[in-house]
Amino acid sequence: MATIHDEIDTWLTADLHGELSNNERSALHAHLVDCATCRKTHQEIKVMNKILEETLANEKPDPVFEQRMLAGFRNRVPQRSGLVKLLVDLMRLRATQIAAVAAVLLGLVQVGRMITGEPVTAPRERERYAQVEVTSPQPPESRPSQAGALDRSGGIAAGRPQDLALEAPAPPPAIRSKFREESKSVAATVAPAKTAQAETTEGDALAASPESPANAQEAGKTAVESPAPDLGNRKLIRNATVELEIVSFDNAVGKITAFANEEHGYVATTDSKKQANGKLKGQVVVKVLPENLDRILQKIRSVGELKNQTLGTEDVTKAYFDTDARLKNAHVMEQRLIDMLKTKTGKVSDLLQVEKELGRVREEIEKMQGELKYWDSQVQFATVTISLAEKDMEEPAAFLLKERAQLALYALDVEKIYNEIKSLASPKVQITNAQLNRDYSGRVSAQLGMLIAPEESDAVIGRVKGFGRVENFQMQTQRIGQGGSGMSENARTKRDKMELNITISREEQEQAFQQTSLRIRTYSVDEKAKELRTLAEKQGGRVRSSTFSGDPDGREVANVSLRVPLKNYPALMQSLDSLGKVQNVSVQRQDRAEPQVDESNAPADISIQVYSQGNIVTEESGLLATLRRTLAQSAGAIMWSLRMIGVAIAFLAPWAVAMVAVIWLARRVIRARKKL
Amino acid sequence: MDPSEREQYRAAIHGDREAFEMIIRTHSRTLFAIAYGILQSREEAEDAVQDSLVKAWRTRWRVRDPEKFPVWLATIARHKARDVFRKRRTVPLPEQVTEPIEPGPSNTSALDHRLQSALAALPELHRAALTLRYFEEMDYRTIENTLGLTNGALRGILGRALASMRKELRPALASMD
Repeated sequence: MATIHDEIDTWLTADLHGELSNNERSALHAHLVDCATCRKTHQEIKVMNKILEETLANEKPDPVFEQRMLAGFRNRVPQRSGLVKLLVDLMRLRATQIAAVAAVLLGLVQVGRMITGEPVTAPRERERYAQVEVTSPQPPESRPSQAGALDRSGGIAAGRPQDLALEAPAPPPAIRSKFREESKSVAATVAPAKTAQAETTEGDALAASPESPANAQEAGKTAVESPAPDLGNRKLIRNATVELEIVSFDNAVGKITAFANEEHGYVATTDSKKQANGKLKGQVVVKVLPENLDRILQKIRSVGELKNQTLGTEDVTKAYFDTDARLKNAHVMEQRLIDMLKTKTGKVSDLLQVEKELGRVREEIEKMQGELKYWDSQVQFATVTISLAEKDMEEPAAFLLKERAQLALYALDVEKIYNEIKSLASPKVQITNAQLNRDYSGRVSAQLGMLIAPEESDAVIGRVKGFGRVENFQMQTQRIGQGGSGMSENARTKRDKMELNITISREEQEQAFQQTSLRIRTYSVDEKAKELRTLAEKQGGRVRSSTFSGDPDGREVANVSLRVPLKNYPALMQSLDSLGKVQNVSVQRQDRAEPQVDESNAPADISIQVYSQGNIVTEESGLLATLRRTLAQSAGAIMWSLRMIGVAIAFLAPWAVAMVAVIWLARRVIRARKKL
Repeated sequence: MDPSEREQYRAAIHGDREAFEMIIRTHSRTLFAIAYGILQSREEAEDAVQDSLVKAWRTRWRVRDPEKFPVWLATIARHKARDVFRKRRTVPLPEQVTEPIEPGPSNTSALDHRLQSALAALPELHRAALTLRYFEEMDYRTIENTLGLTNGALRGILGRALASMRKELRPALASMD
């Protein structure tokens, strides 16, 4: 019962408030019977409870308190109209809020796109263009009739040239518009039906000869002026030149002659020339009646492959009639002079004067008559000049084989070999250039140039190759066509003298074919280095350089650089094992492209480091090295992740700022509304 | 919780004004008791309840669980009352604090005075529990629910409250007996 006594206030209060269970109540009462102190407390609590009940009952809200609260609430929170309420309620829905934020983000993205100039609505735009493209071309057969209609209504046609230019399909716009102007002028004078007819003929003319606008115009003119042509009085000289490539010259001349006869013409001149490669080339001049010119040109074209054709017309009408008039005057003059002589009055000197004048006039008359005759003949006959050339005109008559060889040698004694090569000289082997270079550092090199008769060349090259180690050998053959270029099946081929250039350099300068570096660990460095020297010499190698060094700790290092022929390399490498522990072997091989290289004798460099070292543990293994590597790797990983975080922040920060700004604004708005 | 009650809270949260007004009718006395417990002034308590109701309506969408609606309402009322109380302290009006708001009959005025000061000395939660009990005659369970107290804690609170008041008022009580 100690607990009841300790917490008597709690028990008593609960009892007064009727919150004790029956068991608890009887326990309490039992305790109260026993404990005098608690009984006193019981009294006090009872009084306290009563006082509280009485006092606080006074403070109780009055009966209309709820009504007052409701009224106050209704006053302060007025009923909203339907739409505003709906909107406000919507704003409070989580989904709406998310949607709003998404919309704001999307808006930001669009703004960003607009700022960066990316096409915001590009796809739709493209679609629109595609539609335009599809709809714009109109059915082609509707166009000519439309154009015709516009032509017939002249004025409109002049007013809208650009429309028509856009629509014109085949002919260039310039022609079209010119031809329209002409037809317009015609339309002013001739009846509309006739214009339409003229148009169609013009159209035909255009379709038949679309080569040049001038032609078309001319055709147009002739069509327009056709009611009164006066071609008969005109003196026109027509000339044509044709260039043909043919298979057989004689055959072609025969054909052309036949064509000339058919067209009532004749072959005026023929000339031909034979080329060095046996091909013929020449010119045929044919005279035909002008009206047959076009026909014969068509026929001539069939003789061979047309290379070039020109057609020219010279109008000599004015000059002809001028000369004719002057001739008539001269005839009158002549008659008068003759009359003067007949009368025989005056002095002898005067008569002589007249006689002289008569001679001059007659000469002039003859000249003019000749001129007119010439023109007549020219006008009567058109001239066709045909240039003929047989096919493969450029084919060479013979070939010359030019050989050029370059040889690079490595030798121990450059000077000796230089002299030996020089001694090869003979009438068939001529030395064109010989040069021996020696510089301050003792390097020697030589260059020789030779011209060798073709039959001797192989022997000489073989001998020279034997003098040293061939580093490089290049042979170049060039076939030169004589009297032309290209291919020929019949041309002979002749070998020319061979040009040989030799370069000799000292073996030392040659780059090693293979480079090997290795380390040998041993205890007596000096001794082993000497042993290495003898080993190398046994395998036909040479020591190129060697160094030796030792430090106070007793570590000794000897660097030896060797050069051996490649064929002895494996043997040497094997013998190295007897010296000590071979380590860190690295081999670098420089394969050369030239197949001529004498690989077995090619030099191989070996640089060997012979060293002695105490019992120091190498740095590459052991716990410490592993630890160090691990630490370095983890540091690298941390740096990498830091960098990634930085990138992520850089990406997200602008968005976060935007979001915060939006939220802040929204809060401001809500607060402001609340205050209202 | 009673399903119909729960439905009422849910409707109120979703903006049903009638449901909310119904809640005002049923809960404003409780709220008043809480506010009075803190403020010990009827006018101020009424104002606090009024403010709390308006605030509750405006921020009703913050309540996720309709079950928690009454507790939330009580919390708002408590905070509002505490705000008012704090403001009153910064602008001290000693007479108003010490003087009983509605003086009772003269023979009990001395006792009332002592009672008021004894009440004022109590912790806020104790006062709220007392007012709920003596205003509304609520059973312990309902009070616990309203104030968000755990089961049985209220017994200790009320016991200690009455004990401290008893000790405070012992001389007066002795004189009464």
